[in-house]
Amino acid sequence: MIVLDIGGLRKRFGTRTALEDVTFSVRPGEVFGFVGSNGAGKTTTMRIVLGVLSADAGEVRWKGTAIDAEARRRIGYMPEERGLYPKMKVGEQLAYLARLHAVSAADAAAAVTRWTERLGVAERVGDEVQKLSLGNQQRVQLCAALVHDPEILVLDEPFSGLDPTAVEVMSRVLRDKADEGVPVVFSSHQLDLVERLCDRVGIIAAGRMVAVGSVPELRSGGVSRIDVVGPRDWAGAVPGVSVVSEDGPHTRVELAGASDQDVLAAALAAGPVHEFTPHRPPLTELYKDVVSR
Amino acid sequence: MSGLSPQQAIGLVARREFTTQVRSRSFAVGIVISLVIFGVYALIFQFIGSRTSSDSLGVTPAAQSMVPALQQAATVAGRTLTVVDVSAAEGAEGADQLLSGDLDAVLDHPSGWTLTGRDAVGSELQVLVSTVVRQATLDQALQAAGQNPATVAAAGAVAVQTLEPEDPERGQRLGLAIVTSVLLFMSLIGYGSAVAQGVVEEKSSRVVELLLSTIRPLHLLAGKVLGLGAVGLLQLLILGAIGVVVGSVTGVLSAPSAAGPALVAAVIWYLLGFFLYASVYAAAGSMVSRQEELQSLVAPIMFPLLLPFIFAVSVLPGDPRNTLATVLSFVPFFSPTLMPARQALGVAPWWQVLIAILLTAATIVAVVAVAARIYRNSVLRTGARVSWSEALRSS
Repeated sequence: MIVLDIGGLRKRFGTRTALEDVTFSVRPGEVFGFVGSNGAGKTTTMRIVLGVLSADAGEVRWKGTAIDAEARRRIGYMPEERGLYPKMKVGEQLAYLARLHAVSAADAAAAVTRWTERLGVAERVGDEVQKLSLGNQQRVQLCAALVHDPEILVLDEPFSGLDPTAVEVMSRVLRDKADEGVPVVFSSHQLDLVERLCDRVGIIAAGRMVAVGSVPELRSGGVSRIDVVGPRDWAGAVPGVSVVSEDGPHTRVELAGASDQDVLAAALAAGPVHEFTPHRPPLTELYKDVVSR
Repeated sequence: MSGLSPQQAIGLVARREFTTQVRSRSFAVGIVISLVIFGVYALIFQFIGSRTSSDSLGVTPAAQSMVPALQQAATVAGRTLTVVDVSAAEGAEGADQLLSGDLDAVLDHPSGWTLTGRDAVGSELQVLVSTVVRQATLDQALQAAGQNPATVAAAGAVAVQTLEPEDPERGQRLGLAIVTSVLLFMSLIGYGSAVAQGVVEEKSSRVVELLLSTIRPLHLLAGKVLGLGAVGLLQLLILGAIGVVVGSVTGVLSAPSAAGPALVAAVIWYLLGFFLYASVYAAAGSMVSRQEELQSLVAPIMFPLLLPFIFAVSVLPGDPRNTLATVLSFVPFFSPTLMPARQALGVAPWWQVLIAILLTAATIVAVVAVAARIYRNSVLRTGARVSWSEALRSS
């Protein structure tokens, strides 16, 4: 199994602990969403994976061994701080970056053509990067992560600053790379996007991983809530249940000892029940719960 | 998929630096500006060399007795002296001509001898006139004492001779020494700061993080230094070739045989100086995040380049064997601009050159080690300037 394993990473900057025992793995063909608030440790983790920073403890493993410079050259990376030579032409720059990843000149040229076409910046290859709009620079930046046909993708905030069309293109590209068997890790604050795109999600808070798993797994690990449409003002007195919200006939309760059948029975006792559904919280809500816990 | 060897990584970086720089407008502009500077220098030297070796001297009736001796002394000294009769130094005629610039000075003999100028009298004219007047006065006194002035003069004459034959190409060597120094000074400053700016460009554009995710900091640094060093060398050779060709065609360079060794020395010292200074410039560049912050950090680096340069163009021409210049030409940071000037002047024996080269090479090894550490520690740190303790820490 060509898994990217991140195990027990610890990193301190002076007295501040940036990462403490950060552990998760990304499987081949999987899109992994890395979420957390600003300063939680996403970028630090990604930099350690790329070897741009060194960890104080822990290690990054790939193909079963500690990742080395040679293996890191097979990673496609998009740094949080976007960076390209502003005065270098798009095509030359992408070819140069591909060559630095040990791609032959001919393959580099072909990859530049392929990816600039795919990302819709093919007609700009002869322009200096600084002449492009920020959105197009972002597309070129993604090309830069892809031109050496990477076997792992690590992208720090790839969607920030993109228009909806570009978001679609970018999502498609990530999905396709994953379908080729490439582990894809990306960080984002757009949780709806992460939920839609990712097979699994890792949530980091204050340098620690607080949850890792698919969105349904995260839901099952969290508290159980039930939405009931029917009688009014019935839930307050039910034992083992706490009321999350009450709005006319709409009641949302959280199970705190009681079973869903207890809740149903109590609701029916108060009047006719029209809807009874387990609440499936979106990632945004799960995230808030997990982070505030 | 084959790996990327250090040589390949360095080669790729160096090639990018080289092509980017050579294709940039600044490369061509740099050559043109250098040629213009040299042209202006040449004109100034021409001007200084041919500067008014002619004077016009007003002579009052009281001072007329000196005219034949003055004319004769001027001819011996290779100067043209135009003598104009004026009625008096203070009178309207003399003063007016002085003020209008028609006369350089007026010689009068009211009781003692006076030489009146507008606000100053040219030192060469002063020496000429005072020597003649002193000699004439002396001759009169000697004759009054019954001595023959010619005998006394012969007895007091000093014959100048040299142990080694006088170098017929001395003037040529002087010019070559100055040109070599200027060329090296400009190349080292120009391409040294290009290294610093390149490092800062990669930091400020953040592209460095992308680069360092695939190649090692040391390889990036080495490629940059080699690439820009090669551009500097190319510029040096182009300028040197243009200089030799133009000099030979115009006849300014009448001894091209001296130009060959000077150019070889210039190339050797350029390479040594470049690696020395480029390392320091690169380390400085890696410690800041923006071009604006760079200036204050690289200004001190200019000093060790400027000092020997000033020595080379101001002290050495008049005194090629100046002791301080000789000593300084062995000091590694000073050698690259001072030693080649001494070589061009023909006053540096081969063993001195060899010692200076070895000292500089040893210094390069030490400086590169420190610079590489600073670069590695600093190049990914953005924001505030990296402190010295952080930059120098190990790991």
